Amino acid sequence: MTAIEATEGQDLPGFSRLLTRVDLVRYAGASTDYNPIHYSDTAAAALGLPGVIAHGMLTMGTALRLVTDWAGDPGRVLSYQVRFTRPVVVDAVDGARLEVAGRVSKVEDGVATVTLEVTCEGQKVLGAATAEVRLD
Amino acid sequence: MPISEAHVGRSYPATAPYQVSRAKITEFAAALGDADNPAYTGESPVAPPTFAVVLSSAAWAAMFDDPDLGLALSRTVHVDQEFAWSRPLRAGDEVVAVLTIDKVRSRGASAIIGISVQLSTTGGEDVCTAASTLMHTAEEAA
Repeated sequence: MTAIEATEGQDLPGFSRLLTRVDLVRYAGASTDYNPIHYSDTAAAALGLPGVIAHGMLTMGTALRLVTDWAGDPGRVLSYQVRFTRPVVVDAVDGARLEVAGRVSKVEDGVATVTLEVTCEGQKVLGAATAEVRLD
Repeated sequence: MPISEAHVGRSYPATAPYQVSRAKITEFAAALGDADNPAYTGESPVAPPTFAVVLSSAAWAAMFDDPDLGLALSRTVHVDQEFAWSRPLRAGDEVVAVLTIDKVRSRGASAIIGISVQLSTTGGEDVCTAASTLMHTAEEAA
Protein backbone atom coordinates (compact mmCIF):
# COMPACT_ATOMS: atom_id res chain seq x y z
CA MET A 1 0.00 0.00 0.00
CA THR A 2 1.42 3.38 -0.94
CA ALA A 3 1.49 6.08 1.69
CA ILE A 4 -0.85 9.02 1.27
CA GLU A 5 0.31 12.61 1.42
CA ALA A 6 -1.33 15.01 3.80
CA THR A 7 -0.57 18.61 4.69
CA GLU A 8 -2.10 20.61 7.50
CA GLY A 9 -4.78 22.91 6.14
CA GLN A 10 -5.32 20.79 3.00
CA ASP A 11 -8.92 20.87 1.79
CA LEU A 12 -10.30 17.48 0.75
CA PRO A 13 -12.88 17.00 -2.02
CA GLY A 14 -16.40 17.45 -0.63
CA PHE A 15 -19.69 16.01 -1.80
CA SER A 16 -23.39 16.26 -1.15
CA ARG A 17 -26.05 13.62 -0.68
CA LEU A 18 -29.82 13.92 -0.91
CA LEU A 19 -31.47 11.82 1.82
CA THR A 20 -35.04 10.71 1.26
CA ARG A 21 -37.42 8.79 3.49
CA VAL A 22 -36.59 5.66 1.50
CA ASP A 23 -32.93 6.12 2.48
CA LEU A 24 -33.96 6.25 6.14
CA VAL A 25 -35.93 3.02 5.85
CA ARG A 26 -33.02 1.40 4.03
CA TYR A 27 -30.61 2.52 6.77
CA ALA A 28 -33.02 1.34 9.50
CA GLY A 29 -32.93 -2.13 7.96
CA ALA A 30 -29.18 -2.15 7.34
CA SER A 31 -28.26 -0.88 10.79
CA THR A 32 -31.15 -2.58 12.68
CA ASP A 33 -32.05 0.76 14.30
CA TYR A 34 -35.85 0.78 14.08
CA ASN A 35 -36.51 3.80 16.29
CA PRO A 36 -39.83 5.05 14.80
CA ILE A 37 -38.74 8.72 14.89
CA HIS A 38 -36.84 7.83 11.69
CA TYR A 39 -39.95 6.84 9.71
CA SER A 40 -43.10 7.89 11.59
CA ASP A 41 -44.21 11.53 11.73
CA THR A 42 -46.42 10.63 14.70
CA ALA A 43 -43.48 9.25 16.69
CA ALA A 44 -41.32 12.23 15.75
CA ALA A 45 -44.03 14.70 16.82
CA ALA A 46 -44.45 12.91 20.15
CA LEU A 47 -40.81 13.77 20.90
CA GLY A 48 -41.37 17.38 19.88
CA LEU A 49 -39.48 17.03 16.60
CA PRO A 50 -40.64 19.01 13.55
CA GLY A 51 -40.78 15.80 11.49
CA VAL A 52 -39.06 12.52 10.76
CA ILE A 53 -35.32 12.88 11.29
CA ALA A 54 -32.38 10.98 9.84
CA HIS A 55 -30.53 8.54 12.09
CA GLY A 56 -27.55 10.40 13.53
CA MET A 57 -25.50 7.36 12.57
CA LEU A 58 -26.65 7.67 8.96
CA THR A 59 -25.38 11.24 8.81
CA MET A 60 -22.18 10.19 10.57
CA GLY A 61 -21.61 7.21 8.28
CA THR A 62 -22.43 9.16 5.13
CA ALA A 63 -19.99 11.94 6.02
CA LEU A 64 -17.11 9.51 6.58
CA ARG A 65 -17.16 8.75 2.84
CA LEU A 66 -15.18 11.97 2.35
CA VAL A 67 -12.41 10.41 4.45
CA THR A 68 -12.55 6.88 3.00
CA ASP A 69 -12.60 8.20 -0.59
CA TRP A 70 -9.49 10.23 0.16
CA ALA A 71 -7.72 7.49 2.14
CA GLY A 72 -8.46 4.84 -0.50
CA ASP A 73 -8.48 1.99 2.01
CA PRO A 74 -11.23 2.31 4.68
CA GLY A 75 -8.95 0.25 6.95
CA ARG A 76 -6.75 3.34 7.37
CA VAL A 77 -9.41 5.01 9.50
CA LEU A 78 -8.30 4.68 13.13
CA SER A 79 -10.98 6.67 14.90
CA TYR A 80 -14.01 8.83 14.22
CA GLN A 81 -16.08 10.95 16.54
CA VAL A 82 -18.97 13.36 16.22
CA ARG A 83 -21.53 15.24 18.27
CA PHE A 84 -25.08 15.22 16.96
CA THR A 85 -25.78 18.92 17.33
CA ARG A 86 -28.88 19.40 15.21
CA PRO A 87 -31.42 16.90 13.83
CA VAL A 88 -31.62 16.45 10.05
CA VAL A 89 -35.33 16.76 9.28
CA VAL A 90 -36.16 14.73 6.18
CA ASP A 91 -39.16 16.13 4.33
CA ALA A 92 -41.61 13.49 3.01
CA VAL A 93 -41.42 14.95 -0.50
CA ASP A 94 -38.18 16.90 -0.82
CA GLY A 95 -35.93 14.92 1.54
CA ALA A 96 -32.89 16.70 2.97
CA ARG A 97 -29.55 17.46 1.38
CA LEU A 98 -26.35 16.91 3.35
CA GLU A 99 -23.28 18.90 2.35
CA VAL A 100 -19.98 17.43 3.47
CA ALA A 101 -16.66 19.30 3.49
CA GLY A 102 -13.38 18.30 5.11
CA ARG A 103 -9.90 19.51 5.80
CA VAL A 104 -6.71 18.03 7.21
CA SER A 105 -6.43 19.76 10.57
CA LYS A 106 -3.35 17.99 11.92
CA VAL A 107 -0.57 15.69 10.76
CA GLU A 108 1.51 14.00 13.42
CA ASP A 109 3.39 10.69 13.73
CA GLY A 110 2.05 9.33 10.46
CA VAL A 111 -1.55 10.09 11.38
CA ALA A 112 -3.71 12.79 9.79
CA THR A 113 -6.70 14.26 11.60
CA VAL A 114 -9.50 15.25 9.26
CA THR A 115 -12.08 17.73 10.51
CA LEU A 116 -15.44 17.39 8.79
CA GLU A 117 -18.06 20.04 8.35
CA VAL A 118 -21.51 18.62 7.69
CA THR A 119 -24.40 20.97 7.01
CA CYS A 120 -28.03 20.78 5.96
CA GLU A 121 -29.69 23.92 4.61
CA GLY A 122 -26.65 25.92 5.68
CA GLN A 123 -26.73 24.78 9.30
CA LYS A 124 -24.18 22.53 10.95
CA VAL A 125 -25.65 19.17 11.92
CA LEU A 126 -22.51 17.52 13.32
CA GLY A 127 -20.18 19.13 15.83
CA ALA A 128 -16.54 18.32 16.56
CA ALA A 129 -16.52 15.77 13.74
CA THR A 130 -13.00 14.41 13.37
CA ALA A 131 -11.46 11.24 11.99
CA GLU A 132 -7.91 9.98 12.38
CA VAL A 133 -6.31 8.36 9.33
CA ARG A 134 -3.12 6.31 9.17
CA LEU A 135 -0.96 7.64 6.34
CA ASP A 136 1.71 4.94 5.83
CA MET B 1 -36.02 2.35 39.85
CA PRO B 2 -34.86 4.59 37.03
CA ILE B 3 -31.26 4.57 35.86
CA SER B 4 -28.89 6.26 38.31
CA GLU B 5 -25.25 6.68 39.23
CA ALA B 6 -25.57 3.33 41.03
CA HIS B 7 -25.59 1.56 37.64
CA VAL B 8 -22.16 2.82 36.59
CA GLY B 9 -19.90 -0.15 35.92
CA ARG B 10 -22.75 -2.49 34.98
CA SER B 11 -21.81 -4.70 32.06
CA TYR B 12 -23.95 -7.08 30.04
CA PRO B 13 -23.19 -10.57 28.73
CA ALA B 14 -21.66 -10.65 25.26
CA THR B 15 -24.13 -10.59 22.37
CA ALA B 16 -24.66 -13.79 20.39
CA PRO B 17 -21.81 -14.29 17.88
CA TYR B 18 -22.58 -12.37 14.69
CA GLN B 19 -21.01 -13.39 11.43
CA VAL B 20 -20.22 -10.48 9.11
CA SER B 21 -21.37 -11.45 5.61
CA ARG B 22 -20.63 -10.05 2.18
CA ALA B 23 -24.36 -9.52 1.65
CA LYS B 24 -24.71 -7.43 4.81
CA ILE B 25 -21.62 -5.38 3.91
CA THR B 26 -23.16 -4.68 0.48
CA GLU B 27 -26.47 -3.74 2.08
CA PHE B 28 -24.83 -1.44 4.63
CA ALA B 29 -22.60 0.29 2.07
CA ALA B 30 -25.65 0.87 -0.15
CA ALA B 31 -27.55 2.37 2.80
CA LEU B 32 -24.65 4.81 3.26
CA GLY B 33 -24.85 5.72 -0.44
CA ASP B 34 -21.39 4.19 -0.86
CA ALA B 35 -22.07 1.00 -2.79
CA ASP B 36 -19.44 1.85 -5.43
CA ASN B 37 -16.40 1.76 -3.15
CA PRO B 38 -14.45 -1.32 -4.39
CA ALA B 39 -13.28 -2.05 -0.82
CA TYR B 40 -16.85 -3.06 0.05
CA THR B 41 -17.31 -5.45 -2.88
CA GLY B 42 -15.61 -8.52 -4.33
CA GLU B 43 -14.51 -11.78 -2.77
CA SER B 44 -13.10 -10.50 0.53
CA PRO B 45 -14.57 -7.09 1.29
CA VAL B 46 -14.06 -5.02 4.42
CA ALA B 47 -17.09 -3.43 6.07
CA PRO B 48 -17.58 0.35 6.08
CA PRO B 49 -16.07 1.58 9.37
CA THR B 50 -19.42 2.54 10.88
CA PHE B 51 -20.74 -0.99 10.22
CA ALA B 52 -19.75 -1.43 13.88
CA VAL B 53 -23.16 0.09 14.66
CA VAL B 54 -24.83 -3.18 13.63
CA LEU B 55 -23.01 -4.90 16.46
CA SER B 56 -23.28 -2.07 18.95
CA SER B 57 -27.03 -1.76 18.47
CA ALA B 58 -27.37 -5.45 19.34
CA ALA B 59 -25.45 -4.69 22.52
CA TRP B 60 -27.66 -1.65 23.24
CA ALA B 61 -30.67 -3.99 23.27
CA ALA B 62 -29.38 -5.69 26.44
CA MET B 63 -29.29 -2.36 28.25
CA PHE B 64 -32.67 -1.19 26.94
CA ASP B 65 -34.19 -4.54 27.99
CA ASP B 66 -32.76 -4.26 31.52
CA PRO B 67 -35.86 -3.83 33.73
CA ASP B 68 -33.78 -2.11 36.44
CA LEU B 69 -33.10 0.91 34.25
CA GLY B 70 -36.53 1.80 32.83
CA LEU B 71 -35.12 2.96 29.51
CA ALA B 72 -36.96 3.27 26.18
CA LEU B 73 -35.26 3.78 22.83
CA SER B 74 -38.05 6.09 21.68
CA ARG B 75 -37.24 8.50 24.54
CA THR B 76 -33.53 8.46 23.87
CA VAL B 77 -31.49 11.04 22.00
CA HIS B 78 -28.03 10.15 20.71
CA VAL B 79 -25.76 13.01 21.84
CA ASP B 80 -22.38 11.90 20.58
CA GLN B 81 -20.58 8.89 19.16
CA GLU B 82 -16.98 7.82 18.98
CA PHE B 83 -15.34 4.82 17.33
CA ALA B 84 -11.77 3.58 17.67
CA TRP B 85 -10.75 0.69 15.43
CA SER B 86 -7.85 -1.72 15.76
CA ARG B 87 -8.67 -3.15 12.35
CA PRO B 88 -11.56 -3.14 9.87
CA LEU B 89 -14.32 -5.74 10.09
CA ARG B 90 -14.15 -8.25 7.24
CA ALA B 91 -16.59 -10.66 5.69
CA GLY B 92 -16.36 -13.90 7.65
CA ASP B 93 -15.46 -12.29 10.98
CA GLU B 94 -17.46 -13.68 13.88
CA VAL B 95 -17.96 -10.87 16.34
CA VAL B 96 -19.39 -10.35 19.83
CA ALA B 97 -20.13 -7.07 21.59
CA VAL B 98 -20.08 -6.23 25.30
CA LEU B 99 -21.73 -3.08 26.62
CA THR B 100 -20.62 -1.32 29.80
CA ILE B 101 -22.28 1.66 31.45
CA ASP B 102 -19.44 4.12 32.07
CA LYS B 103 -21.21 7.18 33.37
CA VAL B 104 -24.65 8.31 34.51
CA ARG B 105 -25.68 11.81 35.45
CA SER B 106 -29.34 12.11 36.30
CA ARG B 107 -31.26 15.28 36.87
CA GLY B 108 -35.00 15.01 37.44
CA ALA B 109 -36.56 12.91 34.70
CA SER B 110 -33.53 13.09 32.41
CA ALA B 111 -30.30 11.21 32.51
CA ILE B 112 -27.09 11.57 30.55
CA ILE B 113 -25.68 8.10 30.02
CA GLY B 114 -22.19 7.26 28.80
CA ILE B 115 -21.74 3.75 27.45
CA SER B 116 -19.02 1.87 25.66
CA VAL B 117 -19.33 -1.21 23.52
CA GLN B 118 -16.30 -3.41 22.97
CA LEU B 119 -16.35 -5.43 19.75
CA SER B 120 -14.09 -8.43 19.49
CA THR B 121 -13.89 -11.59 17.43
CA THR B 122 -14.94 -14.89 18.98
CA GLY B 123 -11.20 -15.66 18.82
CA GLY B 124 -10.60 -12.84 21.32
CA GLU B 125 -9.16 -10.21 18.98
CA ASP B 126 -10.22 -6.63 19.76
CA VAL B 127 -11.72 -4.91 16.73
CA CYS B 128 -13.43 -1.72 17.80
CA THR B 129 -14.60 0.33 20.74
CA ALA B 130 -17.81 2.29 20.19
CA ALA B 131 -18.55 4.88 22.87
CA SER B 132 -21.78 6.86 23.02
CA THR B 133 -23.42 9.53 25.09
CA LEU B 134 -27.20 9.23 25.30
CA MET B 135 -29.77 11.53 26.80
CA HIS B 136 -32.79 9.73 28.17
CA THR B 137 -36.02 11.26 29.39
CA ALA B 138 -38.17 9.12 31.65
CA GLU B 139 -41.92 9.05 31.15
CA GLU B 140 -43.56 11.83 33.10
CA ALA B 141 -45.00 10.69 36.41
CA ALA B 142 -48.78 10.88 36.51
